[in-house]
Amino acid sequence: MEFFAQMVTSGLSVGAVYALIGLGLNLTFWTTRVLNFGQGSVLMAGAMITATMVAHGQNVYASMFASMTITGVILLLTERVGVKPLIKASGSMGWVVSTLGIGVFLQGFASIAFGTQAIAFPDVLFSSGDTVELLGAYISKQYIAVFAISTVTVCLMELFLRKSTWGYAVRAVAHDSTLAALMGIPVRNVIIFSYLASGVLAGAAGILIAQIAGTVDPGFGLHLLVLAFVGAVVGGMGSAFGSLLGGLSLGLLEKLVGGYVSPAWAEASAFILLVAVLAVRPQGLFGKREVVKV
Amino acid sequence: MNAMKRISAILTSSWTIVVLAGVLMIASNYCETGTVQMWSFVIINILLAQSINLLTGVTGQISLGHAGFFAIGAYVSATFIMSLGLPFPFAVACGTGISAVVGWLLAIPSGRVREFYLAMMSLAFGLIIYELAREWRSVTGGVMGMRGIPSSTLGSLRIADLAIGTVAYFQILLLVLLATLYMLRNFVKSHFGRAFYAVHVNEIAAGTLGISQEKTKRFSYATSAGLAGLAGGFYAHLVGYLTPESFTLMRSVEILVMSIVGGLGSLTGQVLGATLFTYLPQKLQAFADYQFMVYGLVLTFSFILLPKGLAGLLRLHTRYSKLDLLPNSTVSADAALTGHSNTSLSSPPERLSIPLLQIQNVVMEFAGLRALNGVSLNLYPGKITALVGPNGSGKSTLVNVISGIYRPTTGSIQFNGIDIAGWSSHHIATLGVVRTFQDPRNVPSFTVRENILMGAHRLYHHGALAAALNTPRARAEEALFLSRVAALMQEAGLTIHADTLISELPYGIQRLAEVARALASDPELLMLDEPAAGLSEAESTVLTRLIRLARDHGVTVMLIEHHMDFLTDLVDEAVVFDAGEEIYRGSMTGMRTNPAVMEAYLGIGENQHA
Repeated sequence: MEFFAQMVTSGLSVGAVYALIGLGLNLTFWTTRVLNFGQGSVLMAGAMITATMVAHGQNVYASMFASMTITGVILLLTERVGVKPLIKASGSMGWVVSTLGIGVFLQGFASIAFGTQAIAFPDVLFSSGDTVELLGAYISKQYIAVFAISTVTVCLMELFLRKSTWGYAVRAVAHDSTLAALMGIPVRNVIIFSYLASGVLAGAAGILIAQIAGTVDPGFGLHLLVLAFVGAVVGGMGSAFGSLLGGLSLGLLEKLVGGYVSPAWAEASAFILLVAVLAVRPQGLFGKREVVKV
Repeated sequence: MNAMKRISAILTSSWTIVVLAGVLMIASNYCETGTVQMWSFVIINILLAQSINLLTGVTGQISLGHAGFFAIGAYVSATFIMSLGLPFPFAVACGTGISAVVGWLLAIPSGRVREFYLAMMSLAFGLIIYELAREWRSVTGGVMGMRGIPSSTLGSLRIADLAIGTVAYFQILLLVLLATLYMLRNFVKSHFGRAFYAVHVNEIAAGTLGISQEKTKRFSYATSAGLAGLAGGFYAHLVGYLTPESFTLMRSVEILVMSIVGGLGSLTGQVLGATLFTYLPQKLQAFADYQFMVYGLVLTFSFILLPKGLAGLLRLHTRYSKLDLLPNSTVSADAALTGHSNTSLSSPPERLSIPLLQIQNVVMEFAGLRALNGVSLNLYPGKITALVGPNGSGKSTLVNVISGIYRPTTGSIQFNGIDIAGWSSHHIATLGVVRTFQDPRNVPSFTVRENILMGAHRLYHHGALAAALNTPRARAEEALFLSRVAALMQEAGLTIHADTLISELPYGIQRLAEVARALASDPELLMLDEPAAGLSEAESTVLTRLIRLARDHGVTVMLIEHHMDFLTDLVDEAVVFDAGEEIYRGSMTGMRTNPAVMEAYLGIGENQHA
């Protein structure tokens, strides 16, 4: 029972981070119909920069702030270099390849700058030994904190997108960017904002997941990107609420399969889930129409 | 420019390849083992690059997990030889086959989702295979790797009782490569190649020509995966030692880089790209150190700076037909429309009185908007029916419903007595229901000839293997359709443009080519959506001639048109639509004086109220 409770909490915790990553993916998807295939390296960059700065004696919060600023800038550059010049061309091949290229570049750069070995990630939220007793099981405070921060961020972001002027603008651009431009919405600025926000969210998600994992290495983001994508697709691509539910269910699935069957099967089951959802219900479990009502 | 052309002609000539292969074949006997070994690696990379090219360059589907198929081929072949004791060629064949099956399975969602979903899925697939290779220790040896695989390097590889050394292995690989290139070239130039290409460039138009998006993409995935599996099998028996680290994402990226730099779409380009990126890390230490950063930059900027790769620089163009098979003797355009001898005008009258298409109470709603409000219509063989009506009256919607692009909300559509309502468009097209679009939908980078030839897709009978091997039957069929297309181009006045890229031609020519494409499919029912819009006087005359040609061969024609002068002498019956309902049916002369029609078109009723 205790094992089960631990698996569930860790599952919910990573699942919430998947939702956060998924939201970042969704933001650029809404405004430009682009999915950043290099987002894994952006997650890595967020965690790697924080770890390195803290290791060099910088303040933890200043390090995190700097990391998230840098990841925001990375996404702005991605948009400028990898998306804007290619989006006009028909088909998705151009931007898939260019965004992947930026990710590969960052990973190659990190391998040279920080080495290919995993480096320890500092305790920025509690220490890994801190636990609380919950229903008779000892649950890591880090898990709870990561879960809480991720979920609250996703919900705040959702609220922001629904209630603020910028949120309306993002949704207008998502609906029809030409029409939005004709209505006087500064489409270009909305796109830039969405990439910036996506980068900042990715930086935060990278830090949060590295806190749970304890270490970070140059190739660390790739699996997360794929899992977050699976979560977003399961929940329904294009819906923030769906990506939260999708992310959480995927985190649970991963940890439960990983805990009771084997870790190798955890990812395989996520993959099988992805293929199944795409084959049977490509719009995701919480399809667009239902989400709009929520 | 001329020198460029000569270089590209030399590069792509079969003779060059045969001579080059012959030289390498002989030279391998006299070169150092290390050099020959390196050549073998080049060939394996060429196979991988060709595999990506078929999927990405031709079918437009990006795979970010090709190392996964490569791994499957390698591990399967190694395991089958070591555990089951299969002979080497069978083991490699099994690796190829299993990899192809996995590719086919992976592509199951391909008909329903957009490309980037598949791209992400392939990324995940690559990761899973890598994890599997690490974790499934009993089979793959886990991270420690799999040792002692019979290999040419170790001298432990045998075919029957013959030991295969490095040189012999290279020679085998070279022959395999030549065979693969030969088959790929024939395949890409066949109706399969055209379908592979069309399905991503112009998905909807491809569907209306009888090309199934889903099947085509799956087939492409399977072939490409099989090819990567083949490369994997040969890799396993070249190195004799497999570790999961050979099959990481970076390997997939490397294959992609080779293919993109070589030039997507060009077979020769792949050879260049693979050769370049096999030697670069070996010869240039600085490159090896910064390999992934370089790959990253290449991927980021290649589509902006060098979209067609080295092949583009050398002006190598891939053509998608076996033009050399075009017979010298010409046929008449009548030969293209042969399938209706049973319904032509000389048929007994009772045949002509049975409607070919019966539409009953078809309703089409879009989220509450009723575009078709219970339409019923019969179309008879050898008759030309015009659909007339103001914009937004539902004419194009009706054509879209009949051709299967929309699924009607309710109602039945009987074609030759079969209810086709709700069928997919490629399925409907295979029955001989063919259409053109309001805005011409051709494959821009195909020539006029290739575009029109694509129309004949549904009529081809020979299979993929026959196409790849260029069997006499495949050649005869291609020659037949090439000559029919030549005749149709003659009739449509397109002969002078035959081998020009269609995107470089004026609008009117593109429209006529689309009509010719529809005729090339030997249709039973031909639907033309505003075919005369934007045509010059001369082009309109040609169009009239083409429509009459079809009609005279018993084809049922339905056309949407606003151009009344164009219709007057042409049509047998006019049907007028307004707001999703039929308001008039009868002759053209009657239509001009019908009060309901006049009200719908000229708004007389409203004027009276005003």
